Amino acid sequence: MSTTSTDAHTAGERSWRLALPSTMRLQEYTLVGVIVALLVAGTILKPDTFLTTDNVRAMLTQASVVGVLAIGMTFVIATSGIDLSVGSIVAAAGVAGGLVIDSGAWAFFLVCFGFALLLGTVNATAIAVGRVVPFIATLAMLAIARGLALQMSDKRPISLISSEPVRWFGTGEIIGQPVSIWIFLAVTVVGWILLNRTRYGRHVVSVGGNREAARIAGVPVRRTVFSVYCLSGLLAGLAAILLSGRLASASPVSGELLELDAIGATVIGGTSLAGGRATIVGTFMGVVVFAMIFNLLTQLDLATEWQQIVKGVIILAAVLIQRPERI
Amino acid sequence: MSKYLRLVALVVPMVLLAAACSDDDDGGGASSDTTEAADSGGGSGETVTIVASVPPTDHGWLGQIAVKAQEAADSHDDVEFRLLEAADADSQAAQIETVINEKPDVIVILPQDGDQLTPIAERAMEAGIPVVNVDRLFATPEAARATILGDNYAIGVNAATYLAEELDCQGNVVEIQGIAGISVTTDRSAGFSDTLTELCGDGIEIVAQQPGDFTADLGLEVMEAILQANDQIDAVYTHDDDMAEGVVAAIENAGREDEMILTGVGGSCAAFDRIEAGGLYAATYLYSPTMAGSAVNMARLIALGQGLSDLIEPEVPSRIVVPPTEVTADNVDDLRDLCFE
Repeated sequence: MSTTSTDAHTAGERSWRLALPSTMRLQEYTLVGVIVALLVAGTILKPDTFLTTDNVRAMLTQASVVGVLAIGMTFVIATSGIDLSVGSIVAAAGVAGGLVIDSGAWAFFLVCFGFALLLGTVNATAIAVGRVVPFIATLAMLAIARGLALQMSDKRPISLISSEPVRWFGTGEIIGQPVSIWIFLAVTVVGWILLNRTRYGRHVVSVGGNREAARIAGVPVRRTVFSVYCLSGLLAGLAAILLSGRLASASPVSGELLELDAIGATVIGGTSLAGGRATIVGTFMGVVVFAMIFNLLTQLDLATEWQQIVKGVIILAAVLIQRPERI
Repeated sequence: MSKYLRLVALVVPMVLLAAACSDDDDGGGASSDTTEAADSGGGSGETVTIVASVPPTDHGWLGQIAVKAQEAADSHDDVEFRLLEAADADSQAAQIETVINEKPDVIVILPQDGDQLTPIAERAMEAGIPVVNVDRLFATPEAARATILGDNYAIGVNAATYLAEELDCQGNVVEIQGIAGISVTTDRSAGFSDTLTELCGDGIEIVAQQPGDFTADLGLEVMEAILQANDQIDAVYTHDDDMAEGVVAAIENAGREDEMILTGVGGSCAAFDRIEAGGLYAATYLYSPTMAGSAVNMARLIALGQGLSDLIEPEVPSRIVVPPTEVTADNVDDLRDLCFE
């Protein structure tokens, strides 16, 4: 598991390099522990319906939307940034695609991706070129994208029920498993390779670790920062397609607070909000933990307040374990 | 010359308004104000200014609230109308505070939260500006001159009665609620469970009760998990037509649409279409946003000091409760005009 963590700290910080993997391992073991605990609890409390193939499938399908966003978020947070706008971009991209659904499914996909990428690029430009703090730039985009979604849709959901290809993303299967799960897994694998096995990945993490050092070491800092917000936007477009497929409609009020789930999953996974440390496997497990909590507590018919409390406690516990080992 | 005329035209109503307001302060009793207003209302050409304050109109139903209010205002030549949206209870209170200083003739308020906005509505009333309360009830009667609202408890009662009959008092029912903790949700839920118990005893079991926050997203996710947990579901009672779209998607994605029937609330045209098509979506209960249009009309009549035309009383009634008309395959055609997009 330690290979999944990418260490930012470049030359001359050998002690860090040695210290980090054990921490990461602890973090990831913790999440594995949480997943096992949830599986055991689910199996005891809901023996017939929790650990079934169908339900595991349902959980992963539910995880896919947040999951795709969280992979993008991992790259953003690795650069010590944040993207608060992804939930709104999901709604705006879905609606933008919905507007052209009469021209066919390809128009939907193209516009959905294109619009999400466009909004992501606006974030990127504001942050990398305009030097706006990521929190503020993406907070502004959170409002703008939601406003655009409402404006473009005239505040009404757009039905996509007649578009088979769009529906396929929500209900279709590849080799017996839901399409959205395959997409989630594919994005995770590509994200892992990109972060851990490419020069780009090293750049991303080094920018978050020590920007000045990265600059001196010849990392194209601005371009790297620019790229992660584009990536996050693009993945929001993909999330919009997954969500629209399942809902058979594009709603301007969809995706609310998805950014918080994506950030939460990333952080409990072990990616540091301070940047310079990122783990895709951790993010994946974080997303799965959230999906399991939601599924189990809903199956148990517990009130949502309990879901919120449990989720909050898990985030807090995970972050406590992750607290900076060196200040 | 015309400039002066315009100035006069501007000043005269303002003076009249100021006079009316001070009358209010002195008079206190509603009847004396009304007679006076009625006198001036008889003369044509007087403009009534109405300001409406509502939550963000992004949800299908709230979106239509804005539309219906505007339509009603546009249908009168003598109404000057402005609609303000507020993101939360605090900003709505601040907004109404500002509006009070502008001294419109009437304020129409659909509060974020009836309890939280009661003090500010009372202040408007004390300042001599009548308040028309829509949908979510204020905590005290002093906070509004007139109220128009749907009957959320009756929605639950009607839905339970309908499902009890359809299921012969036997089976498993799922309830997908609105936003947890607001009176709309509590009332719709209480009416439903009280009536099911009353009619069927233990015959019908509510196997899951989860909030879907009035959004299709959450309706979908919650229903997906509930479908996993329950092998046999006979009916689903949802608190909102828009949210029900997500619930329906979950059921259809799972291929279980023949196993159960579903009811909604609101009266969206999408729900009407599904009811007409038959199958899963069996019924919905009108909770029509037209009540916002009625509220604007009531506001105008209050300002003009007139009563409702078919009622004998000289004033607008203090409370109007809109019944939750049941829409099923039998009457969906007749009620088609009432659905909202």
